[in-house]
Amino acid sequence: MSSVTPDPESGLYRRPEIARSHPTDSTADGLPVLSLRGVTKTYSNGKSALRDVTLSVPEGDFVFLVGPSGAGKSTLIRLLIREELATKGKVMLEGRDLAKLNRRDVPQIRRRIGIVFQDFKLLPNKSVRDNVAFALEVTGTPRSRIAPAVDRVLRVVGLAAQADQRPAELSGGEQQRTAIARALVHDPRLFIADEPTGNLDPLISWEIIQLLLRINEMGVTVLMATHNAEVVTALRKRVVGLEDGRVVRDETGAAYHRED
Amino acid sequence: MLAFVAFSLRRAWQGFWRNSVMSLAATATMVLMLMLLSGLLILWTGLHSTLDYVQSEVQVVAYLNDSATSQDVTHLTSALKAMPQVTSVAYVSKAEALRRFQQRQPGVANLVDSLPTNPLPASFEISLRDPADYIDVATYLRGQGAVESVQDIQKTVSQMIAVINIVSTVGIVVMLVVALTVLFIIVNTIRLAVVARSEEIEIMRLVGASDAFIRWPFIFEGAFVGLLGALITIGLLVLIQAPLANLLSGFFNVLPVQASAMVGQNVALIVLATGIGIGVVGSYVSVRSYLSR
Repeated sequence: MSSVTPDPESGLYRRPEIARSHPTDSTADGLPVLSLRGVTKTYSNGKSALRDVTLSVPEGDFVFLVGPSGAGKSTLIRLLIREELATKGKVMLEGRDLAKLNRRDVPQIRRRIGIVFQDFKLLPNKSVRDNVAFALEVTGTPRSRIAPAVDRVLRVVGLAAQADQRPAELSGGEQQRTAIARALVHDPRLFIADEPTGNLDPLISWEIIQLLLRINEMGVTVLMATHNAEVVTALRKRVVGLEDGRVVRDETGAAYHRED
Repeated sequence: MLAFVAFSLRRAWQGFWRNSVMSLAATATMVLMLMLLSGLLILWTGLHSTLDYVQSEVQVVAYLNDSATSQDVTHLTSALKAMPQVTSVAYVSKAEALRRFQQRQPGVANLVDSLPTNPLPASFEISLRDPADYIDVATYLRGQGAVESVQDIQKTVSQMIAVINIVSTVGIVVMLVVALTVLFIIVNTIRLAVVARSEEIEIMRLVGASDAFIRWPFIFEGAFVGLLGALITIGLLVLIQAPLANLLSGFFNVLPVQASAMVGQNVALIVLATGIGIGVVGSYVSVRSYLSR
């Protein structure tokens, strides 16, 4: 373990432990981390949440997913983590068709994805350290490997000093950083953030965005669903716009449109 | 594997105490239901031994001719003893019959003295393994020359068999209905305890925990609730055992029930098995609805 403690505010800091490549990675051959081909999701009540969505995200990309509420952003994310299956079309993650995935392999795929939400989803009666360790404990990681891995990600998100506090004692930004640490602890290839700044004030939001950018610079592909126009416009990253279940735009270096 | 079991047990223990209100509610429900179940069980056992006792009291009484010789008596005794339906054979001589009559009816004792000869016949009292075998034994006896007549209790016997069958069936049905109700209530209580922790399950799923890692802690927790509920129930039963035994012997005063230690052991085992079983099944069913999504 490196003796250097990364400073969360300093931004561009690359951790080789997280950026290490996975030898079995199909993405190493230039395959996209995720790709959707003609994906339609129709719920049993007949409502279509996604219509013929085609999307390809190469490794290392940073993608904003924008669109009004009910446009299908959450459905798209639920398909990516295989919480639901597409009605039509193909959802591929690291070259694997999620529909053909054995039920037993779903947890393996989820460990390749780190995900955070607007509401953090932390366990209130566990400390920051234990919340992060939880993700390793419940996936059968040997106890001897848990503590170093937790310390490492806590330093990445800049929460080493708050490790023993409980979520209620933390600010909203610190809670979200705890959730990010938990999502990172499995060394994911894809990081999904579903409205991560929805509950945070602008200044704190920027801190979280900085952290996501840093994770992206470590080589992790980031997909962020957001309503935050200021952030999207300022960063000039790839923007995928959804409206009424369709991809209405997919531009690199785009701004946030008023209708998003 | 060992690490997995240790993990599950630790999580189950933590889970029980972290949500202590829900866990204790589930345990309390378990205790109430197990008390109800064991109450019924004890009642049913008592009823059953009453029925057994009544059945064992069924006797075939065959009256002999006055001309029957002692050879006839010896022959019949060994023939009856050889019958598989017969558990015991008692020969009541004329003198013995008279003595019993005088004992039973002291008022008319001197009346008998005034008779020139003993009018009472000698008889066989035959105990049966099963009252339903009455006809076989009675038919055999009627074919014997030394037998004057066989007391006809056919109607009584068949009525008694009918009553016993009805009571046993009703008892089993009531037990089943109560057991199902208990299962339903406890499964629902455990489901509430699981729902209270749905967020935890959601997080486990999101970070890629396998189904086994999600399921087993809950199953162990359910087993723990069952074990605790069963132990409390058994403790309460031991406490109220003495007054209960008095009540029961008053209720079933016909029988000399000596089997209470055995009954107690059986009830304890059933309570333990039911408690743990229902806890496990309840947890399994409750968690399954989260895993199958």
